[in-house]
Formats: sequence, C-alpha cells, structure tokens
Amino acid sequence: MTTPSLMQTILGPGGLSARFQPIVDLDEVGAPSLHAAECLTRGPRGTNVEDALVLFEYVRRKREEGSVDRACVTGGLEAGRCLAGAPILSLNVHAVTLCLDQGFADFLDQEADRCEIELDRLTIELVGSPPNWSHPGITSALEGLRHRGVRIALDDVGLGTANCHAILECRPDFFKLDRYFVHGVHNDFARQAVVEAVTMLAADLEAQVVAEGLEEPADLEFLRGLGIRLAQGHLFSPAVPAAEWANVTASFCRHEGRRSDA
Amino acid sequence: MSTTQGRAKPRILVIDDEEPILFALAEYLGTFGFEVDGAREAEEAEALLAHVRYGAVISDLRLSGVHGTEGLEVVGFVRERCPWARILILTAYGSTEIEAEAYRLGADAFLRKPLPLADVAQAVFGMLGEAA
Repeated sequence: MTTPSLMQTILGPGGLSARFQPIVDLDEVGAPSLHAAECLTRGPRGTNVEDALVLFEYVRRKREEGSVDRACVTGGLEAGRCLAGAPILSLNVHAVTLCLDQGFADFLDQEADRCEIELDRLTIELVGSPPNWSHPGITSALEGLRHRGVRIALDDVGLGTANCHAILECRPDFFKLDRYFVHGVHNDFARQAVVEAVTMLAADLEAQVVAEGLEEPADLEFLRGLGIRLAQGHLFSPAVPAAEWANVTASFCRHEGRRSDA
Repeated sequence: MSTTQGRAKPRILVIDDEEPILFALAEYLGTFGFEVDGAREAEEAEALLAHVRYGAVISDLRLSGVHGTEGLEVVGFVRERCPWARILILTAYGSTEIEAEAYRLGADAFLRKPLPLADVAQAVFGMLGEAA
C-alpha cells in the first residue's frame, strides 16, 4: 500500500479542521457584541501543513486552491451550522478560486442548503491575489454571490495586491485591515494616517472596516475613536474549535441571536 | 567546542521523496540536537521555507517530478528566499554537469549516494561552521 500524498491527506477524511474567531462590534461603549465568526482552517494534525500559513502556501504552489477552498467551505459550514448564537459566518476563499471555479456560487448555494444555513448569513472573504482583479471570472462570481445575498469581504487591505484596484473591482462590503496596520497603531503616527485613510475610503464606498489582529486595549480605543466598529484578535479571543464556541459567546453579554442589522 | 555554543542549534529541513531516507536522516541529525523537519515534495519544502527559518537544507536531487532535477529548483528557491540558509544536495544520479549547475545556483555542498549518514552530518556541521 502506498503512502497517501500530502494533498490526499489534506483532502481526505479529517484532513482539514475548522476554527472560529469572533468578529466583534465595538459600536457602543462597554462590552463589545458579537458580529460574526470567521472560519479559519487548519491542516492535518501532526503534518508540516497543520499551520494555516504553510498549508495555504503549499496549496497555492500545488495550484489546488479550488479543490481545497471547496473543502474548507464545506468544513466551515458543517462545523459552523451548530455554533451558539447562529452568527454570521465569514469564509475565506482564494481569489484564484473565483477566477477559475465558475461553479463556486452554485456550490456554496448547495452546501449552505445542505447545512441549513441561509445564504444571507454568509460572508465570503477574498484572500490572495488573482492573475488580474478585472478577470471576468471574478466579476461573474461576485455577481453570483451577491445575487444570493452573500456579502463580500476583502482580506489584507493595504497589503500586497489587496489594493485600490482590488477594492474597485470587488466593491467589498467589508475591508479587512491587516494586523500589520493595527498592531501598535495607537502610538504610531504613520500607521494612524494609513488607517484613517482606509477608514475614509471605506466610508465613501459604503463599506465597513474590520480591524484584524487586535491585541492591545490602547489600539482598540484608538480604532474606536476613528469610528471603526468591527474588530477581531486575541484581545477578544483566539480562533477556537466549534465545540469551544459557546465559551466565546458567553463572554459577550449582549449578543444572543444574530443581529438583524449586522 | 561548538562555534554555536550558547545558541540554539539551527533548524534543518530534509527533502526526500523516499520516506525511509527522510526518516533516517531526520532521526540521525536529531541525535546531534538539531530540530529537523522533513518534506517529501518540492512544493511542501517551499511552503515551509516561506514561513519557517532554517539554518540548513538537505535535498535529494530527484523529487518525483518529471525532469528529475527538482532539487536544483530548491537550491534556487533557497538562495532567493532564504539567503542565510546553507544547502546540501544529495543524489544517486548526478553528473558532473549537474553538480556544477548546483554550485552555480548556490549549493554549498553536493554529495553522491550511497554514503554513510555520518558523512552527511559532517557536511552539515561543515556548512554551519560547527564542530562535530
């Protein structure tokens, strides 16, 4: 019997596992409330690709973004269907997948239906870079997703290729502001200037900013002062398995049930 | 006396598509206190190299690819992305032309198999500037 390849292990039973990190609403003074749960996938335990960064670097080099993204979506929906509070689920999908997988919107539709999750409870978070943000496949896929009520987030805004071109082509509902800009923003004038500019751009385009990687209360206060409402990071909670999600929600006292305006 | 006395041993990445060789090298080098990771494919190795800092890389020349010299691509990747890392190529098939190409791309050592594990360890210590 031959040893399965690493990709076979990743896509095989139990290969991928879902974790969920809360995205919190900082709107009001006091304890933040729950806005959504971002699904973060881990690779097979005990392998070199257990770490998500290595996993998706490997997947990209094998050009298997499409098949792995589908597996991640399925895993995220199956694990997320039972999360306490029925939060909005934010699912990461590589931009290349939307370029090449023309059946992705239908696939998401079917999988959400199978897991009894309404499509307006989903956000697709675009990660990575496609050959071209103007690729007709992306335009078509985004139309298909929006038509179904799915919202769009653009990951790593300000870093790499998640630039103004991407923003104009994707018209995201959410700008995910990378931790690079968030960490230490409270005492860094240059970071403050960038974050303020992104916040103004998002407001002009009727999008919301989600600050990622929040760890310091001082950064939280600065972002709140800028009017940024949504944030995630270890300051609130690390990503946890679905079985531990109830402990996370218990720490947010005002978020029983899904917010209709979120 | 080790030249790295007082510092942590460098982490080593071993790349070979033959599981027994991977296992043997990792176990043997581990006995010297190195932390060793193993990868069976070039893509797996490159994904690790993109996110983990290795002091040395040991790669077989042939990694179940179509042209049989995938190890040379690993050399190029290491030189571009991890210029601090030392790299050793192992092969049972290499010609003098391939050996010259490996050095041209930036390999630090090139050894022909079969050879005792102790010789591999000696080469690693040499590359890292450590006494065995």
